[in-house]
Amino acid sequence: MWLAPEVVPTLVLQVSATYIVRLLLEGLLIGVIYALMALGLTLIFSVLNIVSFAHGEFYMIGGYVVFLILRNWKGFPGLLAIFAAALVTFVIGAIFERLFLQPMAQGKVDRPNEYAILITFGLSFFLQFFVLGLMGPFPKKAPRFWSLPELDLGFLRMTRTTLFLGRIPLSAGRLFAALIALIALAAMLYFMYRTWTGWALQAVSQDRNAAAVVGINPLNMNTLAFALGGMLAGLAGAVLVTVFSWVPWVGITASAKSFVIIVLGGMGSIPGSLLGGIILGVVESLGTGLFPDPARAQAYRDVFGLIIFALVLLVKPTGLFGREL
Amino acid sequence: MTFRRIYILWGLTGLFLLGLVFYPLIVDLQPYWLLVGFSALFYAILASSWSLLAGYTGQFSFAHMAFMGLGAYTSGILVRDLGWAPWMSTVAGVLLAGVVGMIIGYLCLRLRATYLALFTIAFAEIFRLVVKAEVNFTGGPNGLEMPPYTIPEGVNRVMRAIFPFWDAHQYVPSYYIMALFFFLSLFVMFLLVRSRYGLFFRAVREDEEAAAALGVHVVNTRVLAFVVSSMIAALAGILFHHFIGLIVPDEMQIGRMSLVIAMAVIGGSQNLIGAAIGAIFIHFSLEWLQQIPLPVPVLEQLLFLENWGFNIDLQAGVLRTNAWRMVGFGLLLMLTLRFWQNGLISPIIEWLARKEAVEEVAKRFQAERAMDAVDNVAEITEPVEATNPSETAS
Repeated sequence: MWLAPEVVPTLVLQVSATYIVRLLLEGLLIGVIYALMALGLTLIFSVLNIVSFAHGEFYMIGGYVVFLILRNWKGFPGLLAIFAAALVTFVIGAIFERLFLQPMAQGKVDRPNEYAILITFGLSFFLQFFVLGLMGPFPKKAPRFWSLPELDLGFLRMTRTTLFLGRIPLSAGRLFAALIALIALAAMLYFMYRTWTGWALQAVSQDRNAAAVVGINPLNMNTLAFALGGMLAGLAGAVLVTVFSWVPWVGITASAKSFVIIVLGGMGSIPGSLLGGIILGVVESLGTGLFPDPARAQAYRDVFGLIIFALVLLVKPTGLFGREL
Repeated sequence: MTFRRIYILWGLTGLFLLGLVFYPLIVDLQPYWLLVGFSALFYAILASSWSLLAGYTGQFSFAHMAFMGLGAYTSGILVRDLGWAPWMSTVAGVLLAGVVGMIIGYLCLRLRATYLALFTIAFAEIFRLVVKAEVNFTGGPNGLEMPPYTIPEGVNRVMRAIFPFWDAHQYVPSYYIMALFFFLSLFVMFLLVRSRYGLFFRAVREDEEAAAALGVHVVNTRVLAFVVSSMIAALAGILFHHFIGLIVPDEMQIGRMSLVIAMAVIGGSQNLIGAAIGAIFIHFSLEWLQQIPLPVPVLEQLLFLENWGFNIDLQAGVLRTNAWRMVGFGLLLMLTLRFWQNGLISPIIEWLARKEAVEEVAKRFQAERAMDAVDNVAEITEPVEATNPSETAS
């Protein structure tokens, strides 16, 4: 039978405080990037009222843009490559929204609910195979373009590839990715809460008609929101392409995690997506780190988020901060 | 006998059924095309059962492939661990899928469109990941062996009498069993849809509260849709995989689900037959598009495409499209959704089947009104003798 002994936890987990702290930090690092991506999705939902099933594909494209730039132009500055990825995904998002989502907002589509679900699914299908045709199925990895300065302060040590806090190692690539994600998040929050355009986006998300009355064009805001959402996903992919190996279907898991986060945090809520991202990162990290069977722990990594997801949907679909669908 | 448009539809249906029965002869018993036909029917069953759930009842579930896999894995595990005959495990797999479909149907009752889609995606992914991870139970990423059916000798003899080529290749019996199941499942779903339950499905899709106000048992209707579609999907999956010999967890990934959905949408998500025909048509098209035969001079002009993911085989004189045929398919999906939301095939079927009746009734009504008008005119042009107004009123 399949209930072999290794399923029953026989090992006494050597759980030290250091191990838990390490898991927490790793979870935080990845959680920040999750939060960035989920912010994009929640922005799209708050303004357009649709869940973009193609969000992961923007993430995937962002990564491939950086990979292509770094592979073909050896000395190209990495940050500029990330910026280029953001630009490309922004443009793709804007074009798709104008062509396929505007008609829905303008009432030209027969069954908008069904259309909304299926059209972004169609885009995801199209983009996956498009990139598969261009890049092939073999995994790609972008060369690292950032390394830590050598440093030794006793408690804090840095080699070129790892930062050591005491005995806790943190990968430089992930640190850099999290740092860029934090900067991008800060910029996005500033944009949303302190600029006129950001206020316009929030206005449309709160009440389309009222926003139109005061002179905001909801259709233009739709395009901006979708393009920005895609851009944020592309940014997340752009910073992670040096860390993970990249295939055309890398966006599927990213999409799934984004859904988990926005449902957990509340669809359409910005603080919800940030908090949800951090929570998911930490839960995944703790879950895999403390899983009774180390051999299968990694395989179950994605399951934790999905279980949270299913439970939230059944018990409290509005999530932590959300409003009704 | 006046020519009625519906005769075209009957003729096409007859042609299709003939094609279904004689397909192995049409393709000259080539194993490759037998397999393609077999797979096309598999996808047709999946597409039409999905359209029952999504198009007719409005529940856009992405768990369809998970039910297919659930049935197949159950059947395979029962054969492997409990030594059941494949026929018995097939029944068990279908029943289990029906029960799980019922549970999912109940869980989804409170969930509206997008939330339902998300929840079923979550369920499908959890199922796939667990199956992939539990190597000891399910064989993990390498898959589970599915032993073939043993067809009783009596059946074999009867079949050989009807189809002398029954033993020509192992794919021939599998094709016919799948074709039989295709016909039966479409027939059952068609009857269901034409009955009161079909009306209930569509009522629930359009407006649940209005349906409930009119006495439709919304809960039962929604759950019934889930149960029927999941059982049919499971049976299709079980039959397909017992003949193929192997099932892997990656067949249940969302990419495969999108393919089935795309087929159903292009065929017509609100029409069972449209979805099935669409799936068959698309599956064959994708196979044909794998290699495009072109004259060698043209191919030599197209050699630059090798950098873009194509493959050119000058000796065989073909252009291999690789992933690009799927890109075209994806584009077709998006355009169909945008401009022909009812699909490409089902409007044709509906035009052939339905409009005739409306036009006939309209013609008859107009003819009667014309006859009445003539009477009135006769009364008016002749010298009016009867002054009683009630006589001139019609």
